[in-house]
Amino acid sequence: MTQPSEQVSVEVEVNGRGYRRSVMARMTLADFIRDELALTGTKVGCEHGVCGACTVLVDDEPARSCLMLAVQADGRRIRTVESLANGRSMNPLQECFQKHHALQCGFCTAGFLMSATALLEEGQPTREDIVETLSGHYCRCTGYAPIIDAVEEAAAKERS
Amino acid sequence: MSFAHSESPSIAARSIGARVPRGDDPRLLTGRGQYLADIVLPGELHACFVRSSAAHARIAAVEVEDARALDGVVAVWTGEDAAKFCEGIVGELEVEGCVATTMPLLARDVVRYVGEPVAVVVAESRYVAEDGCDLVDVDYEPLEPVLDPRSALRGGPAANEELPDNVALRGGRVLGDVEAAFAGAARVVEATFHSGRLSAGPMETRGVIADYDWTSRRLRLWTCSQMPHYVKYCLTAYLGFPENECEVLTPDTGGGFGQKAHVFPEEMLLPLLARELDRPVKWVEDRRENLMTATHAHEQFVDIAYAFDADAKATAVRIRATGDGGAYHQPPWSMGVEPWCTAMVTPTGVYDIPVADLTYEAAATNKTPIGAYRGVGYMAGTLVRECLMDDAARAFDLSPFEIRRRSVVREFPWTNPQGIVYDEGSWLQTIDELESMVDYPAFRQRQAALRAEGRFIGLGLSVFVESSGESTAMGKAHDLGGVYHDTATVKMEPNGSVTVTIGLTTQGQGHRTTMAQVVSDALGVPLEAITVRAAESTTYGWGSGTVGSRGAVIAGGAVLRASHTIRTKLVALAANMLEADPSDIDLVDGAAVVRGVPGSSVSIIDLATAVYFDQTSWPEDFDPTLEATLAYDPARPIFSNGGHAMIVELDPDNGFVTVEKVFSVEDCGTVINPDIVEGQIRGGVVQGIGAALLERLVYDDAGQLVTTTLLDYHMPSMDFSPPFEIHHLETPSSHTPGGIKGMGESGLIAAPAAVLNAVNDALSHTGIVLHDIPVTPEQVLRALRS
Repeated sequence: MTQPSEQVSVEVEVNGRGYRRSVMARMTLADFIRDELALTGTKVGCEHGVCGACTVLVDDEPARSCLMLAVQADGRRIRTVESLANGRSMNPLQECFQKHHALQCGFCTAGFLMSATALLEEGQPTREDIVETLSGHYCRCTGYAPIIDAVEEAAAKERS
Repeated sequence: MSFAHSESPSIAARSIGARVPRGDDPRLLTGRGQYLADIVLPGELHACFVRSSAAHARIAAVEVEDARALDGVVAVWTGEDAAKFCEGIVGELEVEGCVATTMPLLARDVVRYVGEPVAVVVAESRYVAEDGCDLVDVDYEPLEPVLDPRSALRGGPAANEELPDNVALRGGRVLGDVEAAFAGAARVVEATFHSGRLSAGPMETRGVIADYDWTSRRLRLWTCSQMPHYVKYCLTAYLGFPENECEVLTPDTGGGFGQKAHVFPEEMLLPLLARELDRPVKWVEDRRENLMTATHAHEQFVDIAYAFDADAKATAVRIRATGDGGAYHQPPWSMGVEPWCTAMVTPTGVYDIPVADLTYEAAATNKTPIGAYRGVGYMAGTLVRECLMDDAARAFDLSPFEIRRRSVVREFPWTNPQGIVYDEGSWLQTIDELESMVDYPAFRQRQAALRAEGRFIGLGLSVFVESSGESTAMGKAHDLGGVYHDTATVKMEPNGSVTVTIGLTTQGQGHRTTMAQVVSDALGVPLEAITVRAAESTTYGWGSGTVGSRGAVIAGGAVLRASHTIRTKLVALAANMLEADPSDIDLVDGAAVVRGVPGSSVSIIDLATAVYFDQTSWPEDFDPTLEATLAYDPARPIFSNGGHAMIVELDPDNGFVTVEKVFSVEDCGTVINPDIVEGQIRGGVVQGIGAALLERLVYDDAGQLVTTTLLDYHMPSMDFSPPFEIHHLETPSSHTPGGIKGMGESGLIAAPAAVLNAVNDALSHTGIVLHDIPVTPEQVLRALRS
């Protein structure tokens, strides 16, 4: 059996780029992304899988990177908030967040953006779909209404 | 006595008032924000704390050898090690009847609450540091935990032997003939309220990085603090780091809400460890620690009574506010500020109540220290005042709007019994505005129709006045000491661009954007040419903290005063170049123009270039310094006001309460940026809904905190957040920059009362009246079944 502090090899694609690293078996995916790959846009808010701040997309599905081990991501494709911008401009979802003042401190924002990205990629979410999906994320600043508005407008932009 | 730094020049609002998008957003939305945990110093070590598992116990032994022997562990310190450098940090509130406590950096001999730090393990990685903590063995001999604040104040064992009678604070005042007013009252309405124990719950937990260079004795301390200058002061005063070689740095911060406006033992320990170990040391708090130890908030028992005359006008108030303070005073706010403010500041609110009997007290208990959280003292005070007002409305059979109109202050300036002067306000208009927003007669019809179907909806109202722009004058008005001012630096460079530094740190409030709007209007330069830096380092400016709804007012005043110095030079230069009188020059849209002379103008860019490179354009005696640092502290206290009305639905089958809609009225004088003001309202109100319906830190009978994850401590999520309708009233202050008033705390101050009133309105046909928050389903069902 693999011991928690034993080194294991992990090969992943993150934001379109391949990485191979040797990491402790017990290292979380969140720590791997942040500390090993220096992609610090993914935030750790609770380490209990509750707040949603650390959400990334693993093979296009939202996942709490604090509850996943790096080794579990072996061979998989990951996207983080750093993948969202279109070259040197924000993507429509990010633009809608700015327009609707859907972030204040910004600490929870990457998680919301990643879950919303998956939701938009799935199809045409209704306002109810947005609320149901994003209720798995905490934001302590905005009171949420602007986040709903931002995702709703981004969905409408995708339709048009 | 008047001071120059209390004068604020006038300003023409152009950018002020506009919904300017935040300049910070693209950085934060693309993952480029740099928060404390994102900073990595070469060679950094990681600290992790061993925390007390007992509420109250004697420490018989702390066994650290196994931890020290673990591969990768660099150091383990206990209370004795820390005490060699610092006995602890002293907390007290500078009011009558407060007894100070000293909080050790690591507990020695006795632990006094669950989560109190007992030892710290420093290791090569966070993972190993946590392993090391698991190997530290603490032998506790249990002492009786003190958990009930009201019985603690009557005697029994002491929670903290520095306070043998458990009285950390006790005082009050009787203002006027309260006895006679109550004796002659047509009706007395009274109740006891309990507002629950809360966590501010910022999404980013606390964290500290310390780096010390022995060659220069230079300490750099990164901490996500709302009061970095105060932290720096403590580093010099308690630990002896030289002031000139001590820098506190504040990176992007994931919310604070008052929790990060304290100084903590961890902030004092990390610099010592970095100095002694000669390596940078980092500590990032985990969520369990945050819920256990990063100060709790707001818990109070409040007895309040109003006397009313036959016309339902309030004639007297009597209040006793009792804080459940925890084991120590957390500096600087202490366990005292919560009940002190509730009793001494809030009981009259917007009402013309001439006499008052005010008592405050705080009990030491074996719980986490109480600290500041958005609207400290004001939330519980507003809860009891506004909910008692609704109790009175039911007693007099008046609408919640009408009962408030009977007592509301209508003439300004108004002086309350405590002697606090309110210069202006839209207190009556707020009540009228909310009444029309909710369409009160239509609501009552809908309520009756739904009741017939077995559905319970209710309307709750809460109006507030909030001290804002925390200042020296505000302190004096409330019989508090303290000098508060901030500085700002405004610097214009040769291409006419402007760099601004302010003394405030920012936790998401958009100060960089709102301050750029102020500068844009003061100097006539476009927003794109302005960069605002918050207090990212104590090297720049001076700040008294991002607290007390002071950001817009205080930073705005300092920025405006500094801008005005630059403006005066640009105007003098333009007048010389355009051969006009300086009093005829306006700075607008990137140019200096001569009023009434079309075509006579020079661009700000050309003016700035001339200051640096063209002496021939200068007037006589011109000083080319295009950089100014000035302080601001308003001459008088400033109060914003407003109110919320909420409609809730209570499910009688399961006891759950949901908020259907929030109506908010805010009057913070001149609004710099409506998006940001509305964001503060929505965020604060939803925190208030959490406080009223969901959030509760719970201790068991042994003093164990049982709510240590975000699954147990339940904050509002999106499916719980209501839609808002927000109206702005604008009653500008006569003496702040542009008439701005602060408003960052108002949402949380007033929302819980509106929720509780709405719940009681929903239950009004049952005769049930609840006075405790949070209103949990259990509480509702218990009441419905009894």
